[in-house]
Amino acid sequence: MEPILQIKDLQIDVKMDEEVLNVVKNINLEIGKREIYGIVGESGSGKSLTSLAIMGLLASPPLQVSKGEIVFEEEKDLLKLSPKELRKIRGNKISMIFQEPMSALDPLFTIEDQLMESLKFHTKLSKKEMKRACVKIIERVGIPRPEQIMKEYPHQLSGGMRQRIMIAIAMLCNPKLLIADEPTTALDVTIQAQILELMKELRDDFETSILMITHDLGVIAETCQRVAVMYAGEIVEETDVVSLFHRPKHPYTKGLLKSMVGDRSDALYSIPGKVPSVEQMPTGCRFVTRCPEAMDICARVSPDDLEVAENHRCKCWIYQEEMANHV
Amino acid sequence: MSETLLKVESLEKFFPVKAGVFKRTKGYVKAVNDVSFEVKAKETLSLVGESGCGKSTLGRSILRILEPTGGKVLFNDKNILDYSKQDLRKMRRDMQLVFQDPYSSLNPRMTVRELVSEPLYTHFSISKVEANQRVDEILEKVGLPLEHSKRYPHQFSGGQRQRISIARALVLKPKLVVADEPVSALDVSIQAQILKLLVDLQEEFDLTYLFISHDLNVVKHISDRVGVMYLGKIMELADTEALYQDPLHPYTKALLSAVPTSDPLVKKERIILKGDVPSPTDPPSGCPFHQRCPLAEEQCRNVLPEFVEVRPEHWVACHLVEE
Repeated sequence: MEPILQIKDLQIDVKMDEEVLNVVKNINLEIGKREIYGIVGESGSGKSLTSLAIMGLLASPPLQVSKGEIVFEEEKDLLKLSPKELRKIRGNKISMIFQEPMSALDPLFTIEDQLMESLKFHTKLSKKEMKRACVKIIERVGIPRPEQIMKEYPHQLSGGMRQRIMIAIAMLCNPKLLIADEPTTALDVTIQAQILELMKELRDDFETSILMITHDLGVIAETCQRVAVMYAGEIVEETDVVSLFHRPKHPYTKGLLKSMVGDRSDALYSIPGKVPSVEQMPTGCRFVTRCPEAMDICARVSPDDLEVAENHRCKCWIYQEEMANHV
Repeated sequence: MSETLLKVESLEKFFPVKAGVFKRTKGYVKAVNDVSFEVKAKETLSLVGESGCGKSTLGRSILRILEPTGGKVLFNDKNILDYSKQDLRKMRRDMQLVFQDPYSSLNPRMTVRELVSEPLYTHFSISKVEANQRVDEILEKVGLPLEHSKRYPHQFSGGQRQRISIARALVLKPKLVVADEPVSALDVSIQAQILKLLVDLQEEFDLTYLFISHDLNVVKHISDRVGVMYLGKIMELADTEALYQDPLHPYTKALLSAVPTSDPLVKKERIILKGDVPSPTDPPSGCPFHQRCPLAEEQCRNVLPEFVEVRPEHWVACHLVEE
């Protein structure tokens, strides 16, 4: 599969007074054309930072990309582009939708203004053509009475409608990659089902790749083809969705799957402890403080990213030891 | 079956909508509209529904944090809506609430010990030594190390804060705990920890839970019985098993089918509902769900279905469900 986006060895640091602390490390992933790629992790795992780095939207300072490449369409390294060049791509070839549709839309402008903004910036269409494009996209995302809705303000719409408008704005310029950061977290289940269905349809219609960022394994199971599991700023496991749910390798992934509430077994499993803070990051494997299978070596040395099966990467000493024994 | 601890009879909570210069009442938001159910001692009854369905208002009306506008709430066979303020305060020892957001429900200027002992001083004339002893006991039970009792809420993570909230509620040894979305603000792995804690504490202290949540997976795990709410009304109420395996109301069916699967290989038959929940200021005539219901018939548009027991212990409000 042709990759639309490749992230190579990405590292993000935060500069605090004198210290430089690492928040995201060794991110390697590849998103193919028309693929829905998921990043799953708990809060503080660095999944949103990774997506902001792709968009060039990291709050810098204090955050900075200290290493790595983000290659878009196999040619441009997004990290090396000038702000002007980046603006041409952002909202045009790569666009993004956020978790909270109320705070992502400007309450002082009508829906029409907010839709037209990106068209004005990225295209040379006449006003009439722009309007037509807006009506078309609003209809496409499943909102009735588009002409009327265009004149309304965000507060007049429900949460589900606002998220549809966000998606409409993101899809207006027919992007190659859509980054969706927790697109359904603020929504009810019935509305979530509508929005996920819509995103899958749009992927087919517009041939857009989607990077789906979520904490919800259910959303991943519903939509994605490939998944990366992030923990404390690192990808600990990466594979296709079926392998992840049926043959998880990393103890963290296993724990996460087991603590999915209400399913399968009756005894509720929980991962003890909490994600370590940036200041107290363990020197070895970052999961060592909570891992039920931790060994001596885990606390001292960080494990390598290993290909444990075909197209299945995992960062854990258990498999590294196993492989070493085989040789 | 065990005895009834809490009985709610045709409870109503209407909020007036005022408009114009003289703030005349223009209409009502019927947040809780003619709701009746029972909670048995030592069981967990959950109320699920989408945002705006009135589940939180219902929980608060039962505790009289919001004053209900009609109906009865019988706790131990006495209608607490008749109570005076003083009686109500005494009664609150037995009914405690755990809130959703552990960030805003704890006073940031109080230490954990002050927070957890506060309800003791409010409700009992108790010596400091005795209070401290009870605080120590409950902190241990909820899994907070004693050395943390001198710390302030901001020094804790979300999960730890929720433990403090739970300790605050349980230090009075209540009979009924109303838990309003207690795990919604937490990460998955932490959610599981807190749910486990709630279940353990229930066994240890013989607690009765009224559990309010929008998360159908959480509810399935923790409840004995589940009530599904829509637009201020309970649409279906049954044993957890019966409700999840064999839902009768079309809304329950749609709601359950919308829950994402935990297995990418299983493709669920999905009922996608059209549109949003209608505004409770102007609820539709007839069945409140008829505008979104895939099966709606003529009578659904005009006649409000009654809440009837169609099978033993299985209550449904729908014209299309046969007894």
